[in-house]
Amino acid sequence: MTVVNLQYYAQLREQAGTSAEQVDTAARSLRELYEELRIARGFSLAADALKVAVNAQFSAWERPLRDGDTIVFIPPVAGG
Amino acid sequence: MSRFELFSTVVDTNGQRDRLRHPASGGYCAFEGWVRNSNEGREVDGLSYEAYAELAIAEGERIVAEAIERYGVTDARCVHRTGDLKIGDMAVWVGASAPHRDEAFRACRYIIDEIKHRLPIWKKEHYVTGESDWVACTHVYREHEHEGHQHHHHAHAAPFVPDYSRQTRLREVGEAGQAKLAASRVLVIGAGGLGCPVISYLAGAGIGTLGIVDGDRLDASNLHRQTMYDAQDIGELKAELASRRVAALNPTVQVQVWTQPLDAGNAVDVFRQFDLVIECTDDMRSRYLSSDAAVISGTPLILASIYQYEGQLQFVAAKPGAPCLRCLWPQEPSPESVGSCVLSGVLGPVPGVLGAMQANEALKYLLGLPQPHAGALSLVNLIDLSIQHLPIDAAGGCAAHGGCVEVARRALARSVDEREIDLVFDRLDDAIAAGYRLVDVREADELVSDPMPVAGAMHVPSAQVAERAGEFIDGRYLLVCASGRRSGHAARLLRGEGVQNVYSLAGGLHALRVPG
Repeated sequence: MTVVNLQYYAQLREQAGTSAEQVDTAARSLRELYEELRIARGFSLAADALKVAVNAQFSAWERPLRDGDTIVFIPPVAGG
Repeated sequence: MSRFELFSTVVDTNGQRDRLRHPASGGYCAFEGWVRNSNEGREVDGLSYEAYAELAIAEGERIVAEAIERYGVTDARCVHRTGDLKIGDMAVWVGASAPHRDEAFRACRYIIDEIKHRLPIWKKEHYVTGESDWVACTHVYREHEHEGHQHHHHAHAAPFVPDYSRQTRLREVGEAGQAKLAASRVLVIGAGGLGCPVISYLAGAGIGTLGIVDGDRLDASNLHRQTMYDAQDIGELKAELASRRVAALNPTVQVQVWTQPLDAGNAVDVFRQFDLVIECTDDMRSRYLSSDAAVISGTPLILASIYQYEGQLQFVAAKPGAPCLRCLWPQEPSPESVGSCVLSGVLGPVPGVLGAMQANEALKYLLGLPQPHAGALSLVNLIDLSIQHLPIDAAGGCAAHGGCVEVARRALARSVDEREIDLVFDRLDDAIAAGYRLVDVREADELVSDPMPVAGAMHVPSAQVAERAGEFIDGRYLLVCASGRRSGHAARLLRGEGVQNVYSLAGGLHALRVPG
Protein backbone atom coordinates (compact mmCIF):
# COMPACT_ATOMS: atom_id res chain seq x y z
CA MET A 1 0.00 0.00 0.00
CA THR A 2 1.12 3.56 -0.76
CA VAL A 3 0.13 6.71 1.11
CA VAL A 4 -0.30 9.72 -1.19
CA ASN A 5 -1.64 13.27 -0.82
CA LEU A 6 -4.31 14.29 -3.30
CA GLN A 7 -5.42 17.74 -4.42
CA TYR A 8 -8.52 18.33 -6.49
CA TYR A 9 -9.39 21.28 -8.67
CA ALA A 10 -12.60 22.60 -10.22
CA GLN A 11 -15.19 19.94 -11.13
CA LEU A 12 -13.21 17.25 -9.26
CA ARG A 13 -13.13 19.33 -6.08
CA GLU A 14 -16.86 19.85 -6.38
CA GLN A 15 -17.57 16.16 -6.96
CA ALA A 16 -15.17 14.96 -4.24
CA GLY A 17 -16.58 17.51 -1.79
CA THR A 18 -13.05 18.42 -0.65
CA SER A 19 -9.98 20.09 -2.13
CA ALA A 20 -7.44 17.74 -0.54
CA GLU A 21 -7.22 14.34 1.11
CA GLN A 22 -4.71 11.65 1.97
CA VAL A 23 -5.35 8.11 0.72
CA ASP A 24 -3.80 4.72 1.32
CA THR A 25 -3.99 2.91 -2.00
CA ALA A 26 -3.09 -0.40 -3.61
CA ALA A 27 -2.97 1.27 -7.04
CA ARG A 28 0.42 1.06 -8.74
CA SER A 29 0.15 3.87 -11.27
CA LEU A 30 -1.54 7.28 -11.44
CA ARG A 31 -4.03 5.87 -13.94
CA GLU A 32 -4.99 3.00 -11.62
CA LEU A 33 -5.31 5.44 -8.74
CA TYR A 34 -7.60 7.75 -10.72
CA GLU A 35 -9.79 4.84 -11.87
CA GLU A 36 -10.10 3.75 -8.23
CA LEU A 37 -11.08 7.27 -7.18
CA ARG A 38 -13.43 7.71 -10.11
CA ILE A 39 -15.58 4.87 -8.82
CA ALA A 40 -15.24 5.79 -5.13
CA ARG A 41 -15.88 9.53 -5.60
CA GLY A 42 -18.18 9.42 -8.62
CA PHE A 43 -15.98 11.60 -10.84
CA SER A 44 -17.66 12.27 -14.19
CA LEU A 45 -14.50 13.01 -16.18
CA ALA A 46 -12.31 10.34 -17.78
CA ALA A 47 -8.57 10.39 -17.05
CA ASP A 48 -7.81 11.37 -20.63
CA ALA A 49 -9.79 14.61 -20.18
CA LEU A 50 -7.50 15.60 -17.28
CA LYS A 51 -3.93 16.56 -16.55
CA VAL A 52 -2.10 15.08 -13.60
CA ALA A 53 0.87 16.56 -11.76
CA VAL A 54 3.07 14.91 -9.14
CA ASN A 55 5.15 17.00 -6.75
CA ALA A 56 4.50 20.16 -8.79
CA GLN A 57 5.45 18.66 -12.19
CA PHE A 58 3.10 17.43 -14.90
CA SER A 59 3.39 13.68 -15.17
CA ALA A 60 2.48 10.75 -17.44
CA TRP A 61 -0.45 8.63 -16.29
CA GLU A 62 1.73 5.50 -16.22
CA ARG A 63 4.06 6.88 -13.54
CA PRO A 64 4.31 4.56 -10.53
CA LEU A 65 3.17 5.85 -7.13
CA ARG A 66 5.63 6.51 -4.33
CA ASP A 67 4.92 7.09 -0.66
CA GLY A 68 4.40 10.75 0.12
CA ASP A 69 3.71 11.88 -3.46
CA THR A 70 1.55 14.98 -3.76
CA ILE A 71 -0.77 14.36 -6.69
CA VAL A 72 -2.92 17.02 -8.35
CA PHE A 73 -5.72 16.23 -10.80
CA ILE A 74 -6.53 19.19 -13.07
CA PRO A 75 -9.53 19.45 -15.39
CA PRO A 76 -9.70 22.10 -18.12
CA VAL A 77 -12.06 24.96 -17.22
CA ALA A 78 -13.76 27.48 -19.47
CA GLY A 79 -15.44 30.15 -17.35
CA GLY A 80 -14.74 33.80 -17.90
CA MET B 1 -51.56 52.01 -12.92
CA SER B 2 -49.31 51.23 -15.82
CA ARG B 3 -47.85 54.28 -17.58
CA PHE B 4 -45.78 52.29 -20.05
CA GLU B 5 -47.32 49.82 -22.50
CA LEU B 6 -46.18 47.62 -25.37
CA PHE B 7 -48.66 47.26 -28.24
CA SER B 8 -48.49 44.85 -31.15
CA THR B 9 -51.31 46.74 -32.94
CA VAL B 10 -52.06 50.38 -33.85
CA VAL B 11 -52.09 52.70 -30.84
CA ASP B 12 -55.08 54.91 -29.95
CA THR B 13 -53.20 58.17 -29.37
CA ASN B 14 -56.34 60.16 -28.53
CA GLY B 15 -57.13 57.69 -25.76
CA GLN B 16 -53.59 57.98 -24.47
CA ARG B 17 -53.79 61.78 -24.50
CA ASP B 18 -57.15 61.83 -22.70
CA ARG B 19 -55.66 59.81 -19.88
CA LEU B 20 -53.21 62.67 -19.25
CA ARG B 21 -55.97 65.28 -18.80
CA HIS B 22 -55.93 66.73 -15.30
CA PRO B 23 -57.36 69.96 -13.82
CA ALA B 24 -53.86 70.91 -12.57
CA SER B 25 -52.33 70.61 -16.05
CA GLY B 26 -52.00 73.74 -18.11
CA GLY B 27 -50.92 71.84 -21.20
CA TYR B 28 -49.48 68.70 -22.59
CA CYS B 29 -46.62 67.82 -24.88
CA ALA B 30 -46.34 64.69 -27.03
CA PHE B 31 -43.68 63.08 -29.16
CA GLU B 32 -44.36 60.50 -31.86
CA GLY B 33 -41.62 58.40 -33.44
CA TRP B 34 -42.40 57.24 -37.01
CA VAL B 35 -40.82 54.70 -39.34
CA ARG B 36 -38.88 56.56 -42.04
CA ASN B 37 -37.79 55.30 -45.44
CA SER B 38 -34.01 55.34 -44.99
CA ASN B 39 -31.29 54.82 -42.42
CA GLU B 40 -27.60 55.60 -42.89
CA GLY B 41 -28.01 55.82 -46.63
CA ARG B 42 -29.95 52.58 -47.08
CA GLU B 43 -33.53 52.56 -48.33
CA VAL B 44 -35.84 50.97 -45.79
CA ASP B 45 -39.31 49.63 -46.57
CA GLY B 46 -40.31 48.58 -43.08
CA LEU B 47 -39.03 47.29 -39.80
CA SER B 48 -39.78 44.92 -36.96
CA TYR B 49 -39.41 45.50 -33.24
CA GLU B 50 -38.81 42.68 -30.81
CA ALA B 51 -38.92 43.30 -27.10
CA TYR B 52 -37.92 41.39 -24.00
CA ALA B 53 -41.43 42.26 -22.81
CA GLU B 54 -41.22 41.77 -19.03
CA LEU B 55 -38.02 43.69 -18.69
CA ALA B 56 -39.08 46.36 -21.20
CA ILE B 57 -42.32 47.07 -19.32
CA ALA B 58 -40.58 47.22 -15.93
CA GLU B 59 -37.84 49.48 -17.28
CA GLY B 60 -40.35 51.63 -19.24
CA GLU B 61 -42.44 52.19 -16.10
CA ARG B 62 -39.27 53.15 -14.25
CA ILE B 63 -38.31 55.70 -16.92
CA VAL B 64 -41.74 57.35 -16.90
CA ALA B 65 -41.73 57.47 -13.09
CA GLU B 66 -38.26 59.03 -13.15
CA ALA B 67 -39.45 61.73 -15.56
CA ILE B 68 -42.46 62.57 -13.38
CA GLU B 69 -40.26 62.79 -10.30
CA ARG B 70 -37.44 64.66 -12.00
CA TYR B 71 -39.51 67.37 -13.71
CA GLY B 72 -42.56 67.48 -11.40
CA VAL B 73 -45.05 66.95 -14.23
CA THR B 74 -48.66 66.01 -13.40
CA ASP B 75 -48.61 62.80 -15.38
CA ALA B 76 -46.77 61.10 -18.23
CA ARG B 77 -47.27 58.02 -20.41
CA CYS B 78 -45.40 56.11 -23.08
CA VAL B 79 -46.35 53.43 -25.59
CA HIS B 80 -43.94 51.40 -27.74
CA ARG B 81 -44.94 49.25 -30.70
CA THR B 82 -43.71 45.69 -31.32
CA GLY B 83 -43.99 43.54 -34.44
CA ASP B 84 -43.92 44.58 -38.10
CA LEU B 85 -44.27 48.25 -39.09
CA LYS B 86 -44.44 50.03 -42.44
CA ILE B 87 -43.12 53.43 -43.52
CA GLY B 88 -45.04 56.16 -41.69
CA ASP B 89 -46.34 53.90 -38.92
CA MET B 90 -46.01 55.19 -35.41
CA ALA B 91 -43.37 53.25 -33.47
CA VAL B 92 -43.37 55.10 -30.18
CA TRP B 93 -45.57 57.68 -28.46
CA VAL B 94 -44.67 59.78 -25.42
CA GLY B 95 -46.90 62.30 -23.64
CA ALA B 96 -46.50 64.46 -20.54
CA SER B 97 -48.95 66.93 -18.99
CA ALA B 98 -47.84 69.61 -16.52
CA PRO B 99 -48.83 72.95 -15.04
CA HIS B 100 -46.27 74.68 -17.32
CA ARG B 101 -44.94 73.83 -20.76
CA ASP B 102 -41.24 73.73 -19.96
CA GLU B 103 -41.53 70.69 -17.63
CA ALA B 104 -43.78 68.93 -20.13
CA PHE B 105 -41.27 69.39 -22.96
CA ARG B 106 -38.37 68.27 -20.81
CA ALA B 107 -40.15 65.23 -19.39
CA CYS B 108 -41.14 64.20 -22.91
CA ARG B 109 -37.54 64.55 -24.11
CA TYR B 110 -36.21 62.63 -21.11
CA ILE B 111 -38.57 59.71 -21.68
CA ILE B 112 -37.83 59.27 -25.39
CA ASP B 113 -34.06 59.56 -24.85
CA GLU B 114 -34.03 57.03 -22.01
CA ILE B 115 -36.39 54.66 -23.85
CA LYS B 116 -34.01 54.56 -26.81
CA HIS B 117 -31.01 54.13 -24.53
CA ARG B 118 -32.25 51.63 -21.98
CA LEU B 119 -35.15 49.54 -23.24
CA PRO B 120 -34.43 45.94 -24.29
CA ILE B 121 -36.13 46.46 -27.65
CA TRP B 122 -34.38 45.50 -30.87
CA LYS B 123 -35.09 46.95 -34.28
CA LYS B 124 -34.71 44.98 -37.47
CA GLU B 125 -34.71 47.06 -40.66
CA HIS B 126 -36.01 45.58 -43.90
CA TYR B 127 -34.27 47.12 -46.87
CA VAL B 128 -35.71 47.70 -50.32
CA THR B 129 -33.04 45.30 -51.64
CA GLY B 130 -34.69 42.45 -49.73
CA GLU B 131 -31.98 42.23 -47.07
CA SER B 132 -32.54 42.98 -43.41
CA ASP B 133 -30.37 43.82 -40.43
CA TRP B 134 -30.68 44.20 -36.69
CA VAL B 135 -29.82 47.77 -35.79
CA ALA B 136 -28.38 48.72 -32.43
CA CYS B 137 -29.83 51.88 -30.90
CA THR B 138 -26.68 52.98 -29.08
CA HIS B 139 -24.82 56.27 -28.67
CA VAL B 140 -28.00 58.22 -27.99
CA TYR B 141 -27.33 61.85 -27.11
CA ARG B 142 -29.25 62.51 -23.93
CA GLU B 143 -30.06 66.17 -23.39
CA HIS B 144 -30.70 65.75 -19.67
CA GLU B 145 -27.14 64.52 -19.10
CA HIS B 146 -26.04 68.05 -19.97
CA GLU B 147 -28.58 69.90 -17.79
CA GLY B 148 -27.09 71.96 -14.98
CA HIS B 149 -23.52 71.45 -16.21
CA GLN B 150 -23.25 74.62 -18.27
CA HIS B 151 -20.80 76.20 -15.82
CA HIS B 152 -18.50 73.19 -16.26
CA HIS B 153 -18.31 73.50 -20.00
CA HIS B 154 -15.18 75.58 -19.94
CA ALA B 155 -13.31 73.08 -17.74
CA HIS B 156 -14.51 70.19 -19.91
CA ALA B 157 -13.29 71.90 -23.02
CA ALA B 158 -9.66 71.70 -21.82
CA PRO B 159 -7.97 68.61 -23.27
CA PHE B 160 -7.48 65.80 -20.75
CA VAL B 161 -3.87 65.21 -19.79
CA PRO B 162 -3.35 61.79 -18.20
CA ASP B 163 -1.18 61.59 -15.08
CA TYR B 164 0.78 58.34 -14.95
CA SER B 165 3.08 59.53 -12.13
CA ARG B 166 2.11 56.72 -9.74
CA GLN B 167 3.35 54.07 -12.15
CA THR B 168 6.23 55.97 -13.76
CA ARG B 169 7.63 56.43 -10.23
CA LEU B 170 8.43 52.70 -10.32
CA ARG B 171 12.08 52.32 -11.26
CA GLU B 172 11.18 49.53 -13.72
CA VAL B 173 8.62 51.74 -15.51
CA GLY B 174 9.78 55.35 -15.72
CA GLU B 175 9.17 57.57 -18.75
CA ALA B 176 10.74 54.98 -21.04
CA GLY B 177 8.30 52.30 -19.85
CA GLN B 178 5.38 54.69 -20.24
CA ALA B 179 6.47 55.38 -23.81
CA LYS B 180 6.49 51.60 -24.46
CA LEU B 181 2.92 51.31 -23.15
CA ALA B 182 1.78 54.26 -25.25
CA ALA B 183 3.23 52.60 -28.34
CA SER B 184 1.57 49.23 -27.58
CA ARG B 185 -1.42 47.64 -29.25
CA VAL B 186 -3.32 45.06 -27.17
CA LEU B 187 -6.33 42.99 -28.23
CA VAL B 188 -8.77 41.87 -25.52
CA ILE B 189 -11.10 39.04 -26.57
CA GLY B 190 -14.15 38.97 -24.31
CA ALA B 191 -15.42 41.97 -22.32
CA GLY B 192 -16.97 39.94 -19.48
CA GLY B 193 -15.79 38.88 -16.02
CA LEU B 194 -12.12 38.59 -16.99
CA GLY B 195 -12.27 41.32 -19.61
CA CYS B 196 -13.61 44.05 -17.30
CA PRO B 197 -10.49 44.30 -15.10
CA VAL B 198 -8.19 43.70 -18.09
CA ILE B 199 -9.75 46.51 -20.13
CA SER B 200 -9.98 48.90 -17.15
CA TYR B 201 -6.38 48.46 -15.99
CA LEU B 202 -4.90 48.58 -19.49
CA ALA B 203 -6.89 51.71 -20.32
CA GLY B 204 -5.83 53.30 -17.04
CA ALA B 205 -2.19 52.40 -17.68
CA GLY B 206 -2.23 54.27 -20.98
CA ILE B 207 -1.93 51.47 -23.56
CA GLY B 208 -1.86 53.16 -26.98
CA THR B 209 -4.52 51.07 -28.71
CA LEU B 210 -6.98 48.61 -27.22
CA GLY B 211 -8.92 46.22 -29.45
CA ILE B 212 -12.08 44.82 -27.88
CA VAL B 213 -13.92 41.76 -29.25
CA ASP B 214 -17.32 40.66 -27.88
CA GLY B 215 -20.52 39.65 -29.65
CA ASP B 216 -22.69 39.47 -26.51
CA ARG B 217 -25.15 41.91 -25.00
CA LEU B 218 -25.12 42.77 -21.30
CA ASP B 219 -27.45 40.66 -19.18
CA ALA B 220 -28.59 41.40 -15.63
CA SER B 221 -26.89 38.17 -14.48
CA ASN B 222 -23.50 39.56 -15.60
CA LEU B 223 -23.44 42.51 -13.23
CA HIS B 224 -22.21 40.74 -10.07
CA ARG B 225 -18.83 40.14 -11.74
CA GLN B 226 -18.75 42.59 -14.67
CA THR B 227 -18.59 45.71 -12.57
CA MET B 228 -17.51 48.03 -15.37
CA TYR B 229 -21.15 48.20 -16.52
CA ASP B 230 -24.33 49.80 -15.17
CA ALA B 231 -27.80 48.37 -14.60
CA GLN B 232 -29.12 50.75 -17.25
CA ASP B 233 -26.79 49.18 -19.85
CA ILE B 234 -28.67 45.84 -19.93
CA GLY B 235 -29.38 44.73 -23.48
CA GLU B 236 -26.53 46.70 -25.06
CA LEU B 237 -23.49 45.25 -26.84
CA LYS B 238 -20.66 44.77 -24.34
CA ALA B 239 -17.99 45.71 -26.88
CA GLU B 240 -19.71 49.09 -27.40
CA LEU B 241 -20.19 49.62 -23.66
CA ALA B 242 -16.55 48.72 -22.98
CA SER B 243 -15.40 51.12 -25.67
CA ARG B 244 -17.42 53.94 -24.05
CA ARG B 245 -15.99 53.00 -20.65
CA VAL B 246 -12.43 53.28 -22.01
CA ALA B 247 -13.25 56.66 -23.55
CA ALA B 248 -14.59 57.85 -20.18
CA LEU B 249 -11.64 56.48 -18.17
CA ASN B 250 -8.80 57.53 -20.45
CA PRO B 251 -9.73 59.44 -23.61
CA THR B 252 -6.16 59.23 -24.90
CA VAL B 253 -6.52 55.47 -25.56
CA GLN B 254 -7.53 54.52 -29.11
CA VAL B 255 -10.20 51.79 -29.23
CA GLN B 256 -11.09 49.37 -32.01
CA VAL B 257 -14.26 47.30 -31.56
CA TRP B 258 -15.37 43.95 -33.02
CA THR B 259 -19.02 43.19 -32.24
CA GLN B 260 -18.80 39.68 -33.70
CA PRO B 261 -16.50 36.92 -32.40
CA LEU B 262 -13.37 36.31 -34.46
CA ASP B 263 -13.39 33.18 -36.61
CA ALA B 264 -10.91 30.90 -38.33
CA GLY B 265 -11.10 33.11 -41.42
CA ASN B 266 -9.97 36.39 -39.83
CA ALA B 267 -8.30 35.63 -36.47
CA VAL B 268 -4.71 35.43 -37.76
CA ASP B 269 -5.04 38.71 -39.68
CA VAL B 270 -6.52 40.47 -36.66
CA PHE B 271 -3.84 39.09 -34.31
CA ARG B 272 -1.10 40.40 -36.65
CA GLN B 273 -2.37 43.96 -35.97
CA PHE B 274 -1.53 43.66 -32.25
CA ASP B 275 1.55 43.24 -30.02
CA LEU B 276 -0.26 41.10 -27.46
CA VAL B 277 -3.62 39.33 -27.17
CA ILE B 278 -5.51 38.63 -23.95
CA GLU B 279 -8.12 35.85 -24.11
CA CYS B 280 -10.98 36.57 -21.68
CA THR B 281 -13.92 34.60 -23.07
CA ASP B 282 -15.81 31.78 -21.38
CA ASP B 283 -15.66 29.75 -24.57
CA MET B 284 -13.26 26.84 -25.19
CA ARG B 285 -13.50 27.15 -28.97
CA SER B 286 -12.45 30.79 -28.74
CA ARG B 287 -9.47 29.80 -26.54
CA TYR B 288 -8.25 27.22 -29.07
CA LEU B 289 -8.77 29.65 -31.94
CA SER B 290 -6.76 32.27 -30.03
CA SER B 291 -3.95 29.82 -29.27
CA ASP B 292 -3.79 28.75 -32.94
CA ALA B 293 -3.87 32.34 -34.21
CA ALA B 294 -1.22 33.36 -31.65
CA VAL B 295 1.34 30.71 -32.66
CA ILE B 296 0.73 31.23 -36.40
CA SER B 297 0.99 35.03 -36.19
CA GLY B 298 3.74 35.00 -33.54
CA THR B 299 1.64 37.18 -31.23
CA PRO B 300 1.96 36.41 -27.49
CA LEU B 301 -1.26 35.43 -25.74
CA ILE B 302 -2.37 35.49 -22.11
CA LEU B 303 -5.04 32.88 -21.37
CA ALA B 304 -7.16 32.64 -18.24
CA SER B 305 -10.26 30.74 -17.27
CA ILE B 306 -12.19 30.22 -14.08
CA TYR B 307 -14.37 27.70 -12.30
CA GLN B 308 -16.36 28.66 -9.20
CA TYR B 309 -13.56 29.65 -6.76
CA GLU B 310 -10.51 28.85 -8.91
CA GLY B 311 -8.73 29.92 -12.01
CA GLN B 312 -6.03 28.87 -14.46
CA LEU B 313 -3.54 31.21 -16.11
CA GLN B 314 -1.18 30.49 -19.01
CA PHE B 315 1.17 32.77 -20.96
CA VAL B 316 1.71 31.59 -24.53
CA ALA B 317 4.92 33.25 -25.75
CA ALA B 318 4.24 32.20 -29.38
CA LYS B 319 7.93 31.56 -29.98
CA PRO B 320 9.63 28.35 -31.11
CA GLY B 321 10.11 26.02 -28.15
CA ALA B 322 7.45 27.73 -25.98
CA PRO B 323 4.29 25.71 -25.19
CA CYS B 324 0.84 26.63 -26.54
CA LEU B 325 -2.63 25.66 -25.29
CA ARG B 326 -2.60 22.50 -27.44
CA CYS B 327 0.72 21.38 -25.87
CA LEU B 328 -1.19 21.15 -22.61
CA TRP B 329 -4.63 20.00 -23.81
CA PRO B 330 -4.19 18.57 -27.33
CA GLN B 331 -7.91 18.04 -27.94
CA GLU B 332 -10.57 20.67 -27.37
CA PRO B 333 -12.64 19.35 -24.43
CA SER B 334 -16.39 19.07 -24.78
CA PRO B 335 -18.44 21.98 -23.39
CA GLU B 336 -20.12 19.57 -20.93
CA SER B 337 -16.78 18.67 -19.30
CA VAL B 338 -15.47 22.18 -18.69
CA GLY B 339 -18.36 23.82 -16.85
CA SER B 340 -19.51 27.42 -17.21
CA CYS B 341 -20.50 30.36 -15.04
CA VAL B 342 -24.12 29.74 -16.05
CA LEU B 343 -24.24 26.08 -15.01
CA SER B 344 -21.61 25.86 -12.26
CA GLY B 345 -21.88 29.30 -10.68
CA VAL B 346 -19.03 31.68 -9.86
CA LEU B 347 -18.20 34.14 -7.12
CA GLY B 348 -17.91 37.63 -8.65
CA PRO B 349 -14.35 38.49 -7.54
CA VAL B 350 -12.89 35.23 -8.96
CA PRO B 351 -12.78 36.45 -12.58
CA GLY B 352 -11.81 39.84 -11.11
CA VAL B 353 -8.67 38.34 -9.55
CA LEU B 354 -7.73 36.31 -12.63
CA GLY B 355 -8.44 39.25 -14.95
CA ALA B 356 -6.30 41.53 -12.78
CA MET B 357 -3.52 38.92 -13.00
CA GLN B 358 -3.86 38.89 -16.81
CA ALA B 359 -3.61 42.70 -16.89
CA ASN B 360 -0.55 42.55 -14.64
CA GLU B 361 1.13 39.91 -16.85
CA ALA B 362 0.32 42.07 -19.88
CA LEU B 363 2.01 45.12 -18.37
CA LYS B 364 5.02 43.02 -17.27
CA TYR B 365 5.39 41.66 -20.80
CA LEU B 366 5.03 45.06 -22.48
CA LEU B 367 7.48 46.69 -20.03
CA GLY B 368 10.01 43.87 -20.38
CA LEU B 369 9.82 42.87 -16.69
CA PRO B 370 10.75 39.31 -15.64
CA GLN B 371 8.00 36.68 -16.03
CA PRO B 372 9.48 33.71 -14.16
CA HIS B 373 6.38 31.57 -14.59
CA ALA B 374 5.73 32.25 -18.26
CA GLY B 375 5.22 28.86 -19.90
CA ALA B 376 3.72 27.30 -16.78
CA LEU B 377 0.11 26.58 -16.01
CA SER B 378 -0.66 28.58 -12.87
CA LEU B 379 -3.47 27.20 -10.73
CA VAL B 380 -5.03 29.90 -8.59
CA ASN B 381 -7.11 28.61 -5.70
CA LEU B 382 -9.12 31.36 -4.03
CA ILE B 383 -10.42 29.08 -1.28
CA ASP B 384 -7.04 28.51 0.38
CA LEU B 385 -5.37 31.45 -1.46
CA SER B 386 -2.67 29.22 -2.96
CA ILE B 387 -1.02 29.51 -6.36
CA GLN B 388 0.68 26.48 -7.86
CA HIS B 389 2.86 26.77 -10.98
CA LEU B 390 3.22 23.65 -13.13
CA PRO B 391 5.85 24.02 -15.87
CA ILE B 392 4.57 22.80 -19.25
CA ASP B 393 7.03 20.62 -21.15
CA ALA B 394 6.84 21.88 -24.74
CA ALA B 395 8.80 18.83 -25.95
CA GLY B 396 5.98 16.56 -24.76
CA GLY B 397 3.24 18.56 -26.53
CA CYS B 398 2.77 19.63 -30.14
CA ALA B 399 6.46 18.87 -30.86
CA ALA B 400 5.51 15.21 -31.38
CA HIS B 401 2.95 16.22 -34.03
CA GLY B 402 4.96 18.59 -36.20
CA GLY B 403 5.23 21.55 -33.79
CA CYS B 404 2.75 24.16 -32.53
CA VAL B 405 2.58 26.13 -35.80
CA GLU B 406 1.89 23.05 -37.93
CA VAL B 407 -0.70 21.72 -35.47
CA ALA B 408 -2.37 25.16 -35.37
CA ARG B 409 -2.44 25.44 -39.18
CA ARG B 410 -4.16 22.07 -39.49
CA ALA B 411 -6.70 23.02 -36.79
CA LEU B 412 -7.51 26.35 -38.46
CA ALA B 413 -7.91 24.70 -41.87
CA ARG B 414 -10.33 22.20 -40.31
CA SER B 415 -12.30 25.05 -38.67
CA VAL B 416 -12.60 26.83 -42.02
CA ASP B 417 -13.94 23.61 -43.58
CA GLU B 418 -16.41 23.25 -40.73
CA ARG B 419 -17.77 26.79 -40.85
CA GLU B 420 -20.78 25.65 -42.87
CA ILE B 421 -21.88 23.59 -39.82
CA ASP B 422 -23.10 26.68 -37.96
CA LEU B 423 -26.36 27.91 -39.44
CA VAL B 424 -28.19 31.12 -38.55
CA PHE B 425 -31.98 31.12 -38.33
CA ASP B 426 -34.21 33.87 -36.96
CA ARG B 427 -36.91 31.37 -36.01
CA LEU B 428 -36.93 27.59 -35.65
CA ASP B 429 -39.95 27.50 -37.97
CA ASP B 430 -37.65 28.80 -40.73
CA ALA B 431 -35.31 25.84 -40.14
CA ILE B 432 -38.19 23.37 -40.29
CA ALA B 433 -39.49 25.02 -43.48
CA ALA B 434 -35.99 24.66 -44.94
CA GLY B 435 -36.20 20.90 -44.31
CA TYR B 436 -34.17 20.48 -41.13
CA ARG B 437 -35.14 17.99 -38.45
CA LEU B 438 -34.56 19.60 -35.03
CA VAL B 439 -32.49 17.79 -32.39
CA ASP B 440 -32.47 19.22 -28.87
CA VAL B 441 -29.08 18.32 -27.33
CA ARG B 442 -29.73 19.90 -23.93
CA GLU B 443 -30.16 18.00 -20.68
CA ALA B 444 -33.60 16.76 -19.63
CA ASP B 445 -33.99 19.35 -16.84
CA GLU B 446 -33.29 22.20 -19.27
CA LEU B 447 -36.04 20.94 -21.57
CA VAL B 448 -38.47 21.23 -18.67
CA SER B 449 -37.33 24.64 -17.38
CA ASP B 450 -36.94 26.16 -20.84
CA PRO B 451 -39.02 24.27 -23.43
CA MET B 452 -38.28 24.46 -27.17
CA PRO B 453 -40.44 27.09 -28.85
CA VAL B 454 -41.63 24.49 -31.42
CA ALA B 455 -42.83 20.91 -30.98
CA GLY B 456 -41.52 17.72 -32.53
CA ALA B 457 -37.77 17.93 -31.86
CA MET B 458 -35.78 14.75 -31.21
CA HIS B 459 -33.97 14.72 -27.87
CA VAL B 460 -30.39 13.45 -27.75
CA PRO B 461 -28.30 14.93 -24.89
CA SER B 462 -24.97 16.24 -26.23
CA ALA B 463 -22.93 13.73 -24.21
CA GLN B 464 -24.74 10.88 -26.03
CA VAL B 465 -24.60 12.05 -29.65
CA ALA B 466 -21.48 10.05 -30.53
CA GLU B 467 -22.91 6.74 -29.31
CA ARG B 468 -26.26 7.50 -30.98
CA ALA B 469 -24.70 8.61 -34.30
CA GLY B 470 -26.70 5.84 -36.03
CA GLU B 471 -29.97 7.71 -35.38
CA PHE B 472 -29.02 10.51 -37.79
CA ILE B 473 -30.13 8.81 -41.00
CA ASP B 474 -31.71 10.42 -44.09
CA GLY B 475 -32.35 14.16 -44.27
CA ARG B 476 -30.61 17.01 -42.51
CA TYR B 477 -30.46 17.53 -38.77
CA LEU B 478 -30.14 20.85 -36.93
CA LEU B 479 -28.71 20.38 -33.43
CA VAL B 480 -29.92 22.97 -30.93
CA CYS B 481 -28.75 23.94 -27.42
CA ALA B 482 -28.95 27.10 -25.30
CA SER B 483 -25.89 28.94 -26.64
CA GLY B 484 -24.79 26.98 -29.73
CA ARG B 485 -21.65 25.68 -27.98
CA ARG B 486 -22.74 22.16 -27.12
CA SER B 487 -24.61 21.78 -30.41
CA GLY B 488 -21.57 23.07 -32.34
CA HIS B 489 -19.24 20.68 -30.56
CA ALA B 490 -21.65 17.74 -30.99
CA ALA B 491 -22.11 18.45 -34.72
CA ARG B 492 -18.32 18.51 -35.23
CA LEU B 493 -18.01 15.28 -33.27
CA LEU B 494 -20.61 13.65 -35.52
CA ARG B 495 -18.88 14.97 -38.65
CA GLY B 496 -15.71 13.34 -37.31
CA GLU B 497 -17.66 10.07 -37.08
CA GLY B 498 -18.59 10.41 -40.75
CA VAL B 499 -22.12 11.79 -40.21
CA GLN B 500 -22.18 14.64 -42.73
CA ASN B 501 -25.85 15.68 -42.56
CA VAL B 502 -25.67 17.45 -39.17
CA TYR B 503 -25.62 21.19 -38.49
CA SER B 504 -25.73 23.44 -35.43
CA LEU B 505 -27.96 26.43 -34.66
CA ALA B 506 -25.47 29.30 -34.31
CA GLY B 507 -25.96 31.14 -31.01
CA GLY B 508 -28.52 28.55 -29.87
CA LEU B 509 -31.97 29.28 -28.48
CA HIS B 510 -30.63 32.39 -26.79
CA ALA B 511 -29.99 33.99 -30.18
CA LEU B 512 -33.57 33.32 -31.30
CA ARG B 513 -34.99 35.11 -28.32
CA VAL B 514 -32.60 38.04 -28.15
CA PRO B 515 -31.88 38.83 -31.78
CA GLY B 516 -29.00 41.12 -32.62
